[in-house]
Amino acid sequence: MTEQSSSPPIDPRLLSVLVCPLTKGPLIYDKEKSELISCNAALAYPIKEGIPVMLVDEARHLTDEEVNKYK
Amino acid sequence: MINKPQEYVAQSYDPRAKDYVSSQVHAFGPDLEQIKALLSTHSSASLLDLGCGGGHVSYCAAPLVKEVVACDISQTMLDAVLQTAKEKSLNNIITQRAQAEQLPFENHQFDWVISRFSSHHWHNLAQGICEIKRVLKPNGTAIIIDTIAPLDKTADSFLQTIELLRDHSHVRNYNMAEYTQIFSIYELTLNSITQRELNLEFHSWINRTNPSAHCIQAIIELQQIAPAHVKDILKFQDNHGFSLPTATFILNR
Repeated sequence: MTEQSSSPPIDPRLLSVLVCPLTKGPLIYDKEKSELISCNAALAYPIKEGIPVMLVDEARHLTDEEVNKYK
Repeated sequence: MINKPQEYVAQSYDPRAKDYVSSQVHAFGPDLEQIKALLSTHSSASLLDLGCGGGHVSYCAAPLVKEVVACDISQTMLDAVLQTAKEKSLNNIITQRAQAEQLPFENHQFDWVISRFSSHHWHNLAQGICEIKRVLKPNGTAIIIDTIAPLDKTADSFLQTIELLRDHSHVRNYNMAEYTQIFSIYELTLNSITQRELNLEFHSWINRTNPSAHCIQAIIELQQIAPAHVKDILKFQDNHGFSLPTATFILNR
């Protein structure tokens, strides 16, 4: 098991209020990778110990191929 | 090396989270009583505590509203807030790390956005105010509380220098005109301004940020050599304490 996938689940109340801070668009919760995905910004926001880090500078850039997987 | 402004602020506050939870200056005050009175008939409201710091707005608001999102740039501060919320059995407080200028919330999400003693740390005040307006519901209310810089430019320079020597993550205390101009630009209607005086006891004020001995000495020297009118405006005392005006702005979308 990777360190990321052992992260505790995100508080569902947070999932219902969060959007991408850059585009203000919707986010997809990738449980396996413990990331919140913004397809419009091509960014993956990390979830560390159950807490989403909603900072653009700390997000992972997604390739076109990765973005297409979530669409 | 830290390059990003929000990381600079976060890393400055991470080691001091518990000091801000227990700080008497932050935990009490007539502004918190004013907030409680305003929220007393809003039990179904959603509230954003923006730049929550030690979480004192959240603890006051949580028993009165449906849900509080405590938001800050420092994860350590948020961990301390969540722990304290649990100890107080305030289960309707959730925390979210984000910067004020780029909020990860939907348009029209909150009935109330309250920000207390935070905006002087933002790297772009206008962008933060713009974000507050965006996340407020159409009939929502924002409360911005912060220290206010003097209009006198010399006193302003002394204040900003003292603040920076004490806390290297300090960005700027704004004056009344700067705040009201930005509210006006973003079409937030200013309903009321309550001005108060914040008395800062030197040792607890210094100990919360723990600056170097050189910086403490420089603060004391600046207080001693300041022109008489600056000493008068900032109310420098023999024990190095001083006073700052604060303002509570109540704004509607």
